[in-house]
Amino acid sequence: MLLPSARPLFSLSSTLLLALILIPSYSVCAEDTEFGLGTKIYSQGCAECHGEQGEGVQSEYAAALIGDASIGELAEVISDTMPEQDPDLCVGEDAVAVARYIHHAFYGEAARLRNRPPKLALARLTGEQLRQSLADLYGSFAGNTWAHEDHGVNAIYFDGDRWNDKKRKIERVDSVIDFDFGHDSPGEGIEPESFYIHWTGTLKADRTGDYELVLRSTCSCTLDFGHTQRKLIDNHVQSEGRTEFRKRIRLTAGRGYPFELSFIQRERKTDQPPALVSFCWVPPGGVEEVIPQRNLLATSFPPAFSLQTKLPPDDSSYGYERGTQISRIWDDSTTQAAVEFSQFAGDELWPLYQQKHKKDSNENRAKLRTFLGELAETAFRGSLDEIARKLYIDEQVDATEDDREAIRRVCLLALKSPRFLYPTLDSNQTASRRVANRLALVLYDSLPVDDWLLAKIQKDELATEAQANQTAWSMVSDYRTQGKMRSFLYHWFHVGGTDEIPKDSEAYPGFDQAVVSDLRASFNAFVDEVVWSETSDFRQFFIADWTFTTDRLATFYGDAWKPVEAEGPPLRRSVSDAKVRMGVLNHPLVMSSLSYYKTTSPIHRGVFLNRYILGRTLRPPNAAFAPLNPDLHPQLTTRERVSLQTEDVNCQVCHERINALGFTLENFDAVGRWRETENDRPVNASGNYLTRDSKTVTFEGASDLANYLAKSDDCHKAFVEAAFEYFVKQPVTAYGSDTLDRLTDKFRNSGFKVRDLLVAIAATAATEPLKTQEEA
Amino acid sequence: MNPQPPSRRDFLKKLGVGYAAGQFLFGLPSLGWAASQSRKQRIVFLFSPNGVIPKHFWPDNQGRDFDVKRILEPLASFKDQLMTLHGVCNKIQGDGDGHMRGIGCLLTGVELFPGDIQGGSDTPAGWSMGISIDQHLKNKFQSDPEKQTRFGSLEFGVMVPDRADTWTRMSYAGANQPMAPISDPYQMFDKLYGQAKNRQLLASVLDDLSEDFKRVENLISSEDCHILKEHVEMVRAVEKELKTELAQSQKAEESQTTDLGHAVPEMPPNVETENDNMPQIAKMQIELLVNSFASDFSRIATYQITNSVGNARMKWLGIDEGHHGLSHEPDSNEKAYEELIKINTWYAEQVAYLAKRLSEVPEPGGSGSLLDNTTIVWTNELGKGNSHTRDNIPFVMVGSGLGWDMGRAMKFDRVAHNRLLLSITEAMGYPEKKFGNPDYCGDGPLTGLL
Repeated sequence: MLLPSARPLFSLSSTLLLALILIPSYSVCAEDTEFGLGTKIYSQGCAECHGEQGEGVQSEYAAALIGDASIGELAEVISDTMPEQDPDLCVGEDAVAVARYIHHAFYGEAARLRNRPPKLALARLTGEQLRQSLADLYGSFAGNTWAHEDHGVNAIYFDGDRWNDKKRKIERVDSVIDFDFGHDSPGEGIEPESFYIHWTGTLKADRTGDYELVLRSTCSCTLDFGHTQRKLIDNHVQSEGRTEFRKRIRLTAGRGYPFELSFIQRERKTDQPPALVSFCWVPPGGVEEVIPQRNLLATSFPPAFSLQTKLPPDDSSYGYERGTQISRIWDDSTTQAAVEFSQFAGDELWPLYQQKHKKDSNENRAKLRTFLGELAETAFRGSLDEIARKLYIDEQVDATEDDREAIRRVCLLALKSPRFLYPTLDSNQTASRRVANRLALVLYDSLPVDDWLLAKIQKDELATEAQANQTAWSMVSDYRTQGKMRSFLYHWFHVGGTDEIPKDSEAYPGFDQAVVSDLRASFNAFVDEVVWSETSDFRQFFIADWTFTTDRLATFYGDAWKPVEAEGPPLRRSVSDAKVRMGVLNHPLVMSSLSYYKTTSPIHRGVFLNRYILGRTLRPPNAAFAPLNPDLHPQLTTRERVSLQTEDVNCQVCHERINALGFTLENFDAVGRWRETENDRPVNASGNYLTRDSKTVTFEGASDLANYLAKSDDCHKAFVEAAFEYFVKQPVTAYGSDTLDRLTDKFRNSGFKVRDLLVAIAATAATEPLKTQEEA
Repeated sequence: MNPQPPSRRDFLKKLGVGYAAGQFLFGLPSLGWAASQSRKQRIVFLFSPNGVIPKHFWPDNQGRDFDVKRILEPLASFKDQLMTLHGVCNKIQGDGDGHMRGIGCLLTGVELFPGDIQGGSDTPAGWSMGISIDQHLKNKFQSDPEKQTRFGSLEFGVMVPDRADTWTRMSYAGANQPMAPISDPYQMFDKLYGQAKNRQLLASVLDDLSEDFKRVENLISSEDCHILKEHVEMVRAVEKELKTELAQSQKAEESQTTDLGHAVPEMPPNVETENDNMPQIAKMQIELLVNSFASDFSRIATYQITNSVGNARMKWLGIDEGHHGLSHEPDSNEKAYEELIKINTWYAEQVAYLAKRLSEVPEPGGSGSLLDNTTIVWTNELGKGNSHTRDNIPFVMVGSGLGWDMGRAMKFDRVAHNRLLLSITEAMGYPEKKFGNPDYCGDGPLTGLL
């Protein structure tokens, strides 16, 4: 046997074969055409001796077909020598075809890399994980938060312009802060000339990003935000003409920020202004609105920290963010983040700590050392050994007499340390600690700080899978997890990329940023409902016939978007309409994102359905193409135009799959409105899909597609895989070749409860160290 | 004609120094751009509250041969660079009590907006209707490439209460835009040197950090070490860069020891912002001010001791009662009278200390000292505490920033203080027809100052 064969690097195990099969459509798609002939010849003439995947056959030719010869070289060898019994049987084009196939499928290095089962890779914190971890590091001193039922703002109304318990007239929860009292009294028993309203609450951010807080007030007002000593807006002095206060601040998803708003009408000799106050915001990508009740909690959370430092984006080439790149800009941003955190540690946490530990001994600055020790242990997710304590605490404290400088030194060193930046560097810690670290990382993108969780670590109550599972259940409804779930769904439904969705104002008059903002609110509320309600059912993403709507959306989108109740909060449940609504599959936010400025884009929609919703792999296009200009083909529908452009056989390899799915959504125009005609011709929304197990499903339109997705194995598996990788940030196959199937079955058996899936994902990822330990 | 001297930015560009590194390096007097042809004029508005005891403040004799009274005694050694301006009155009327208008109209020369802050027996008021002179000059300087500085202006406070109201704000960026002074010297330090200091600290901890990377490598498989290795190389590269940078600044610093002591000033540790630490805070803030002038971080500053109605309790002088309380006592209360003289003398000592420090620092790249190019404008919201008069506002100038003919006691005949503000902006190179309320600018800048 003369094939140039290297020593086998590893033997192909059954796991490998499975992994190979799981590697989806890229090879399927490619093999059908490019490698069709080679595959055929190989399986008929070569596999008998070399094995189906070149793994070798013990009785015939045992060595695996792997090596570094080029395709040309291989072809020559084959042409000259193969098959052994009749070398003339496979020559010329045939030999080249076989060479190309085996090189691609298992022989070449690229193929071997592709076929190697993924492993867990050490990764640093992603930007969001760094942000969340620092928020919790602060919280570990400031106090735990909780899920709070009551929405709104706690209000105390006083007669008179100051706090006076005897003149406390009204105590209630206001749903939002938006009042125009004019020259009237704000309530019974209160003089209109002189009153004081004290609002306290917590503002909950669902998404990480830049928010603009807008306080409008004609009277004296102050706003403390995040901490009672952080005066964000100080208008203690009412001064004519100064009635609008705007502040930009970066908030972190799933976090509550306590605030205290004082509003005072003061009696005076001169004319009083009418009393008007509103607390608004411009959320990321949104428009200015009164901060809605759903983002207000009628309680005061402990002080909170939100990193303002800008962090560079992480690598997301695998479809989820991974901390695998070490760059100068990232390194600098970690320095900046550490410096920013150290300010708050010095200004707020250290005084708080001193206050709580008044009676402790302070010999040799013991308090400072203990404070910094606790800080480092939380940041490092585990106890400090003697060497580390000396390095990270004692040497830094001894280096300066100034407490704040010592704090700054420790923060710089600890928050730039690999012990903090690499969340899984914890093999020196207990099993329970390691499980907790992973649960917090997967569910919160953060580190364990909640007292109850730390207690479990202390008592070593996280050392079994059952315990991990149970703990994941206690964590899954946390706001932090909800925030992460929201951003995952943005990712999966492909609506997170951009906040602005510009459209041609002639073709789509009225489709403005306010409509987009309402659509986002509608999308958010709907997916929250599907994930977190008791009746949680993933399939509702595709088959629900209702959504959340606003009056503005009803005006733009028509009757199907009318609220059930004529009156109510701005965002409320819509009427049912099964004809035009398929969960969020065709939500206008999704449809308009997957469209051009003037026309729909069946290609974008088809790629989205293939890649995201069905988890199929597509090769990038052969070249960059500009879409055909609709103005040059006025007689064609979008469907006809796209078909025309992609009719080439080379394009069809992928586009027969892309277009066939994308066309099914053609009843929804570039802003997601229902349409039955285009260019005065009826819309053809028929399409089809070839499943992973090679069954063809046909659709008459979006409704058929939606019903299919709800029950499609491909779709279920795609969701499970995407969720796993988004939350865990490691490939699911690294957790065992059957993990994806196991989780998908479990998901199906739970009645498609997303929450249950998330618990299963977290428990799987968190108990990985337990398994490794067992194996060891 | 001489070619234009290159700007500081050109200089940095030629050196190939990035902006941030430039700030770090050039926060040093020796390297600060020295070739600027025109001299660097600077000004500090220094405020102390509650009026003075006129009899022990104002010289009896006018002109060069003036007598230095008790309160001004600490400034005696600067007599040649001193100018007192008696007869300048804050005539602004409208809403607000005497103290509010005293401070709110002092540097703005314009009325307060109607508002809801009620003090004394007058009408309530809000913020000032216009920009203050320091911010006006800052805007002028910042729009002139020759005079632009990193901060434009710096607002120092000494025990200014942590609340924003008409009594605590002297400086305004515009109508209804009060500027908060920074009263915590550590906060001011961070603003000025935080970046440099953090880089120093970073440099000093990075070595420890790369050591720890080695220990951490034991916790993981050799395959995973790859990313850590890449990371630690990055850490080492940054460390090396910082060391080079620090060595350069060290060198620069050494050549400057006689001038400034330290480029990044040393701060005494753990000084809380509280009443009894006021003398120490006052000094720390002065050091920072002088350093920031020497480093050309700014050429304009305000230095506000407490606030209008300020109630410092100067226990270190043996005075237990608050300043404002005492200032209401009639002149016949001898004890209070004496204590008020002591309190005001203490303020004069701060002015003198600032003048002294400025005089000790040579003008970077120029001749003489910082004081030769800086004028301290010491002022107050009232002429006299117990009458709340805003006539004869205590205006005392020290130093030669404005280029006036110093070493004289001036006497004016009840002129509006807007005219003095006009004189100041004119002397700084930006003559104006009016500043604040035009009704009080009628006769233009004051005469006889040059």
